Amino acid sequence: MRRVVFGALVAAIYVVVRQVVFGLGSSNAWLVLAYESGDAGLALTLLAGVLFLGLIAARFGSSWRDVLAVVAGLEAGTYLLAIGQALGQAVRPRPAFGSVFIPGGWRYVLVGYLAIALLLLVYSAVYIGVKNRLTRRKQSVWTFFGYALIHLFLVSLVMLVFYPVIQVVAASFDPTNNLFSFRRVNSPFLLVRAKVLPDFSRISLENYQRLVEGVVIYGYQWALLAAAALALLLALWSGYKLRRLGPVEPWATLQGRALSVFALLAFLLVVLVSPSQFGGRSTESKFLLWVRNTLLLSSATGFLAVALTATAGYAFARFRFPGRYPLLLTFIFVQMFPGFLALIAIYYLLSALDLLNTFTGLLLAYSGGIISFGSWVYKGYIESLGHSLEEAAYIDGASRWQAFLRIILPLSAPIFVFIFLLQFVGTYSEFILANLVLTGVEKWTVGIGLYSFTTGQFSTKWGVFAAASVLGSLPILMVFYGFQQYFVSGYTAGAVKE
Amino acid sequence: MYKHPPGLRGFLVAIGLLGAAILAAFSIGLFAYWALERLATSASNPEGVPNYTLLITSALALIPILILLARRYAYLTDWYYLLPAMLFLLAFTVYPIVLTVYLAFTNYSGLHNGKPDRASETRVVRLAGRTLVLDGPAETSLRCRNPSCSEELVELVGEGRRVYDRIERAEENRLVLARAPDFEPRYVYRVNTFSYVGLKNFVFIFANASRALIPVFLWNVVFAFASVLSTALLGLILGIVLNNRRLPLRNTYRTLLVISWALPGVITIQMWVALLNKQFGAINRLLGLLGVYPIPWLLDPLWAKVSVLLVNLWLGFPYMMTATLGALSTIPDELYEAARVDGASSWQSFRRITLPLLRAPFIPILLSSFAYNFNNFNIIYLLTGGGPSSEGRLSTAQATDILISWAYKTAFRAEGQSAYGLGAAISLVIFAITVGISLVNFKFTGALKEERK
Repeated sequence: MRRVVFGALVAAIYVVVRQVVFGLGSSNAWLVLAYESGDAGLALTLLAGVLFLGLIAARFGSSWRDVLAVVAGLEAGTYLLAIGQALGQAVRPRPAFGSVFIPGGWRYVLVGYLAIALLLLVYSAVYIGVKNRLTRRKQSVWTFFGYALIHLFLVSLVMLVFYPVIQVVAASFDPTNNLFSFRRVNSPFLLVRAKVLPDFSRISLENYQRLVEGVVIYGYQWALLAAAALALLLALWSGYKLRRLGPVEPWATLQGRALSVFALLAFLLVVLVSPSQFGGRSTESKFLLWVRNTLLLSSATGFLAVALTATAGYAFARFRFPGRYPLLLTFIFVQMFPGFLALIAIYYLLSALDLLNTFTGLLLAYSGGIISFGSWVYKGYIESLGHSLEEAAYIDGASRWQAFLRIILPLSAPIFVFIFLLQFVGTYSEFILANLVLTGVEKWTVGIGLYSFTTGQFSTKWGVFAAASVLGSLPILMVFYGFQQYFVSGYTAGAVKE
Repeated sequence: MYKHPPGLRGFLVAIGLLGAAILAAFSIGLFAYWALERLATSASNPEGVPNYTLLITSALALIPILILLARRYAYLTDWYYLLPAMLFLLAFTVYPIVLTVYLAFTNYSGLHNGKPDRASETRVVRLAGRTLVLDGPAETSLRCRNPSCSEELVELVGEGRRVYDRIERAEENRLVLARAPDFEPRYVYRVNTFSYVGLKNFVFIFANASRALIPVFLWNVVFAFASVLSTALLGLILGIVLNNRRLPLRNTYRTLLVISWALPGVITIQMWVALLNKQFGAINRLLGLLGVYPIPWLLDPLWAKVSVLLVNLWLGFPYMMTATLGALSTIPDELYEAARVDGASSWQSFRRITLPLLRAPFIPILLSSFAYNFNNFNIIYLLTGGGPSSEGRLSTAQATDILISWAYKTAFRAEGQSAYGLGAAISLVIFAITVGISLVNFKFTGALKEERK
């Protein structure tokens, strides 16, 4: 209590001093705001809010630090309020064209949430009451209610996080193909009328058709595609079995084999597709070619990363030669210069080597950024393996190279998958270098292609953009959810170890 | 087995041998490239072989040299494991860095790009020793920058050959060259040379600091800091909530919530551009239902900053959530059991066990996330393009531009007039800051200390 009084006193003195020194107008934004609005309630609320911030800042520490903290909190509160005020002034009080506007709609939502919370409370009371009666135990209603509220929070968050995704997926099936559409939706449901929920009455595949217009796929490519799909299904099926039965033998091997076959077939398909198969006249009819380009680039970068870092990581982990430490330092510090900072130089270098607008050029440009991190991760992995296996091999007369090839490499599959996937996903999302190097429409990646739709063309290509976003995201979505444990364990292992 | 020569001497000897091998291979490769170029160039194929042949010939030359070296110095084979990575680093990271430093002190730009200016094409009427007779007045048709074209570099083309030459002086439609060409040129082009300008680029950056460097840098720091703080806070809360083993469906929530991490950022960021449209965007439609007037998300300088932060929060919190879950899984259960035995409440064990043990793994995550966001080009460039425009700023450094997008726009966009040299100078400034952040990171994590064995 003494602390609160002290803090309030400091705050009051500060406010007065600041008013006297700077004068009204520019200093205490919240006072200005309250003064201009002429609302005593608002003024008091703002005063309380700013004081609260100051007191929160003063929560820790002792006397003179408290003074500083109160002042800092008040300053921060003042600036935040000033920013909020500026943000508010930038909004014109005019509802958007053709939108559903409900004045004070947030009140309904708030009441709705309170009603749901009340309902949950009643439900938990009844449920726990009955359960306690039946099992003769004493469980707290409040714990159960707490869990219910956590679920409410999480479900709301999931809906918020998914809202943009659902909007884009819905737009991809909407044939109007125009972001700036005034069309009203006739529906008994308010949320559908407001176009917050998609209108399912008008589903069309037109946008997707425009993406594949004029695409010719040869018979053997269909066969490859079918075989790849089959392999993927097999892998998924065995994965499902594995989850149910635990790591049992036929399924574990099957899953590995099916995945390798799928990867091989998919890679073959990507390599065999040629730009001449995409004869459509519009830009968007090249979309599948962009996907193919991106997949080709991403997998090539992944392979290059594994190939370059495997031997380097091994040498750093196992060899003790003079100069190992400075070299390791060099690797790390060179990596701090992000590849794209040297954009200008890389552009200059590639143009000097006649490698602009080629995948090779872009791949070489990427190679700089992938080595250090991969070597570092792989080095850590080998160090965790232990020496005993290699020592046994040395006793049997193996050379270093043989020990590496026969013993270390086969054990390194998981970390190679991690390095590969990281590069794969990273390259898929890379924009800046690709945009610089790949200038011809037949060499574009998904990101560049989509960027060409957004630059001032949402009026005609919004639906196409949405459809392309959905299709273009699928490969990464599959990779991510398929190999989630690799990402999670790889990242977090690195995080915890570092 | 073999033995390395010890200490610094051993290191220098090995580096020297490898360097000599690379240099020798490069010279042989250059020679082979030059020979191939001579063979392939003809009237029908004036370009000759592409320049990257040089890389292939050098790599081919390196292999036998390395094998020969390994016979004499067996210990060098240890270094061969590192050689592929080292070569790629040298060619595509170290060399570009050196080049960036060099370009930062030049006026290399769209107008000074070191290439022949095709707009200055002029026909050659005849050749007389060192003098070219052109079919127009030399100074205007070659668009010379220096008076009477003295010291300008030109390219002579004819008979399937291209040769650079220097002009001594120009008189009417006559050019006097420094060196007589050994063939009959048909066209002449002036080369847009670029030159050393000293600290001019840096002087420009600091002289215009109030119009670009300072506001951009401040926003860059605020952006990186606020991004890390907001994502870490949400991620931490979610991670702690979802770590509770008694919470039903927790794995479902986790799988659903990582969606924004699972989708490729290059696509989702562009998707947000449409969603944040003021009149027709899905976000303002939702807010309209709540009684909020349409917000100028990407049109107002201040709201654009808020948009960038919100989208970055949407993109970034799943990583932080996953990191939190990973860090929490390393805390042994016994600690909590011991606390319970001692009569601690769940809040107490959270305050006294969970939070302190989260600190150690979280600091490096926060620092690397800061370093990542500090140079997060994609979100700025794809979401706002650096805009909307702000009064009194350079046209390349607008309301939401961060340092890296400023450098990019300066070097590669029309409003920056392709000032590569200036862009390179900005890059160097960013590099200095990035190294600073990384050094702090290493100091905190002590990642390097354990290596020094």
